[in-house]
Amino acid sequence: MQRIPVAERDDWRETAREHGFEFHTFDDGAYWDESAYYRFTLAEIEDDLEEPTEEIEKMCFAVVERAIADDEVLRRLAIPEPFWDHIAESWHRQDRNLYGRLDFSYSGQETSKTPAKLLEYNADTPTTLYESSIFQWTWLEQAMESGLIPQGCDQFNSLHERLVDALGRFGIFGTLHLACARDSAEDKATVEYVEDCARQAGLETQFIYMEDIGIDREGRFTDLDDMLIGTLFKLYPWEWIMAEEFGSRVPTSGTRFIEPTWKAVLSNKGALALLWEMFEGHPNLLPTYFADDPRAAALDGPFVRKPLLSREGSNVVIVGEGGHGRDHDALAETAGPYGAEGHVVQAFHPLPEFDGNHPMLGCWLVASKAAGLCIREDRTLITTDDARFIPHVILD
Amino acid sequence: MKRSRSIALVMMGAGSLILSACEEPTVEALVYKDVQQCLDDSTVDLAVCEESFKQAAAQHARVAPKYTDPAACEADFGAGQCELAPYQTESGGSVFMPLMMGYMMGSMLGGRGGVAAQPLYRSSDDAKNYRTADNRSVGSTTGKTTVSRSAAAAPASKPYTVSRGGFGARARSFGSAST
Repeated sequence: MQRIPVAERDDWRETAREHGFEFHTFDDGAYWDESAYYRFTLAEIEDDLEEPTEEIEKMCFAVVERAIADDEVLRRLAIPEPFWDHIAESWHRQDRNLYGRLDFSYSGQETSKTPAKLLEYNADTPTTLYESSIFQWTWLEQAMESGLIPQGCDQFNSLHERLVDALGRFGIFGTLHLACARDSAEDKATVEYVEDCARQAGLETQFIYMEDIGIDREGRFTDLDDMLIGTLFKLYPWEWIMAEEFGSRVPTSGTRFIEPTWKAVLSNKGALALLWEMFEGHPNLLPTYFADDPRAAALDGPFVRKPLLSREGSNVVIVGEGGHGRDHDALAETAGPYGAEGHVVQAFHPLPEFDGNHPMLGCWLVASKAAGLCIREDRTLITTDDARFIPHVILD
Repeated sequence: MKRSRSIALVMMGAGSLILSACEEPTVEALVYKDVQQCLDDSTVDLAVCEESFKQAAAQHARVAPKYTDPAACEADFGAGQCELAPYQTESGGSVFMPLMMGYMMGSMLGGRGGVAAQPLYRSSDDAKNYRTADNRSVGSTTGKTTVSRSAAAAPASKPYTVSRGGFGARARSFGSAST
């Protein structure tokens, strides 16, 4: 794994516009950054990332099995009791899942022999999908064509094919509705891309904002044309749905959700503690405990405190050695509105540094198969929504 | 190869591909504005006319589009073209639906031939054509006619929305949903 500076394509902003990639630059700087790329060997991709990704997904299934069989686990995850049966039903019914992203700290085989370490699993509402699948792929092809990078490069990126294929296999009858909240361009773009894939899979689609969803007399969800919502892809966290007014209608609505309700177990950071409890010592896992677990005291050395439910790196604290529970020892900290449901503590495994940048590796799953890689770089140790997206290549 | 062999966007961006729609298969159907027009058609059995009309009329209230605002109903179907539906909203308000303007049936009883007996409507922006409760045009011809197979299918029950806005509160206080 190497970080290699490279010239930008002259016309990439125009290409972005043509491809519907509107959020490549934030007010305070670039988000899409092709001034460098990461280069991996095929062995690094296949042995160190792809294989662990699918293995962890299987372990996560065991976590779901355990959670739905034990009310105490669901209580620890702060999942509201009225949804326990619904989660179990969605699991036993084998409701299909579409996608997820495992975030790893990894520095490559040449620099160290440390396996990729799982930092968290974005199982319910991952974004960065479009830029991983489409724009990164386009960069690779164009950069090879114009000689910016060597010929014969490959990329860990079968996202597009797998998304179209997976959506076609859901067996969706009638229209697939797709929703996100108003006022987030990034969320909207991700939903538009999933909608695009669904159309390519031959499905009829209809976009609706979460705020516009209605309910009929029988408690079924409706769109703005008063048509029933049979299947809903929602880029909207399950814990928000469960807490909101219409949430209580979900179990009896008859609507099928993507991601399915059982993903609520895995998008919770408590799942990291359950993974460690069930698969302690696994090379790709970091010691992680619920913050109120007495065993958490066994963490010798710095650790990270993360809310059970949070987004985009908010409310994360890295606490120095001996600073157990005392925030004034924080080495790094992000602000935010999360944390009311409780926390986990995770052994601190810093992101590697390449020229002053800290890359976090997001490994994509589509229908539970490893499907690609996205790299987001930050100048700080906690990856937030300020991180830049850096493309990658595979070249032996 | 570890990457997709090709990518495509059909909706996003400026370079969208244009997909040509397939020609939809059609079926033969009978369309009448009322039961009398059917009875006047010597090619159709009287019992078929009456039984199909009964089936269509019985579905009308269930499958017609629903409105809680009468003006919205009239905007879609024309002034004076709406009636009260036999339902109420949860808070006791009225529900409106368009008048049944005709009916469609197969030439044999019991929906054989792939045509479900059903009510028909006329929307104000396309008043010359009949449309099904699922808003599929069946043309302006009465008597024997040809309709698309999807228009001949049994219409779906139409819910009416009694409340909206029960999702979104967390997004307003927390911001983006993405992780």
